Amino acid sequence: MTGEMTPRAPRPLRARRAPWIGVVIALALAAAVVVLVLNLLEDSLYFYNADEAVEEREEIGSKRFTLQGAPIGCSIVEGFNGDEPVVAFSLSFGGAAIDVVHHGDPAELFQPDVPVVLDGAWVEETPFVEGFGGIANDGWHFSSDRMRVKHDNDYINDEEYDERLTLSDEGADSTGVVCEA
Amino acid sequence: MSTDAATTGSRTTRLLGLVVLVGVLALILLGFFGAPEDDEQRDAVRMIFVHVPSAFLTYTAFLTTAVGSVMWLWKRSRWWDIVAHSAAEMGVIFCGLTLFTGSVWGRPTWNTYWDWGDVRIVTNLILFLMMVGYLALRAAGGDENAVATRAAVVGLLAAVNLPIINRSVEWWANRTLHQKSSLTDGNLEDLTLFTLFVGVVVWALFFVWAMIHRFRIGWLEHQLSSIDLEAALVQRRAEATGESAEEANL
Repeated sequence: MTGEMTPRAPRPLRARRAPWIGVVIALALAAAVVVLVLNLLEDSLYFYNADEAVEEREEIGSKRFTLQGAPIGCSIVEGFNGDEPVVAFSLSFGGAAIDVVHHGDPAELFQPDVPVVLDGAWVEETPFVEGFGGIANDGWHFSSDRMRVKHDNDYINDEEYDERLTLSDEGADSTGVVCEA
Repeated sequence: MSTDAATTGSRTTRLLGLVVLVGVLALILLGFFGAPEDDEQRDAVRMIFVHVPSAFLTYTAFLTTAVGSVMWLWKRSRWWDIVAHSAAEMGVIFCGLTLFTGSVWGRPTWNTYWDWGDVRIVTNLILFLMMVGYLALRAAGGDENAVATRAAVVGLLAAVNLPIINRSVEWWANRTLHQKSSLTDGNLEDLTLFTLFVGVVVWALFFVWAMIHRFRIGWLEHQLSSIDLEAALVQRRAEATGESAEEANL
């Protein structure tokens, strides 16, 4: 072995940090998280509620976005677009209604009054699905390809549930929008 | 060392374990055959009896880790450090179970296993990953005190996430897929509520049982490492003085 054998000076010991430095760093990070949350509370947007989507339609344009609203029972029509299953319905939230054409099978728990969260885009066209009238009927519809159901935290077993569901189908649903006879 | 001293069990823990087993059996019977199905979700609602208690115990475990971390940083108490480590391991198991059961429950009800837009489930995943990092830091080894201090800081940072997760469904009420709290805001059938209560109690007893065992393992490991250190010191002294280790130890 022919390496350098001259003794080296010992490396200087690292100065010991004061214990409160760690606490200060932790507090600073916690403060950063709080600021982040406060900002997210104001600026984050997971989905547009139906009323917001109608209000900001021009701004959104043809961009994909996520929409939330409650399906109106009497408007739901299932059919086919060629071989592809489609379901057309109107949904409402905050007093605004939107006509929707969902491409694909509806979610298992899809039903009147239970809010849905849909991914898709605005299409400036009256939807053509046989038998679908459309409650908004404003020359626009929301074309969706992904559906989630936003169920609530009520876990009840009501004997009159099926009866209420039928009433909803007939137009007396709780969305406040009543279908025409 | 007698056989009794080498085990982490005791009469109390064996009794507690038995109570947990009976409780799990009662929960299965109540969950599958006692509680009614839900109008909208039908049988899928039964997942609540595992999901909500798991989430509740996740909070409890990581809160315990946070308390243990503060006590380590403040008092340098090894007892609290081991409590923090044990609770973190339990918390990772419960948090993983919460994410898994939530995902399985989400498929038939939400129509998706996962949604990156939902605050509750994404913040839960962040917490899970942070605490897996905590355990990795512990497992990486090194000076015992330094590891405990670093882990305590990570444990406290992760705990900041707890109120965010808990309140997310309120703070982002109209911006989240996840429903509000079932325990505090929900409208539950009497038997559904009772079964949920049984689930929380059984899970909590399991947590206590597992914590006692894990803590005792941690404490024994700590004692063992102290004995090893002592033996190494005796060995070094013996080498320095030319005595045998046995003589040096006398």
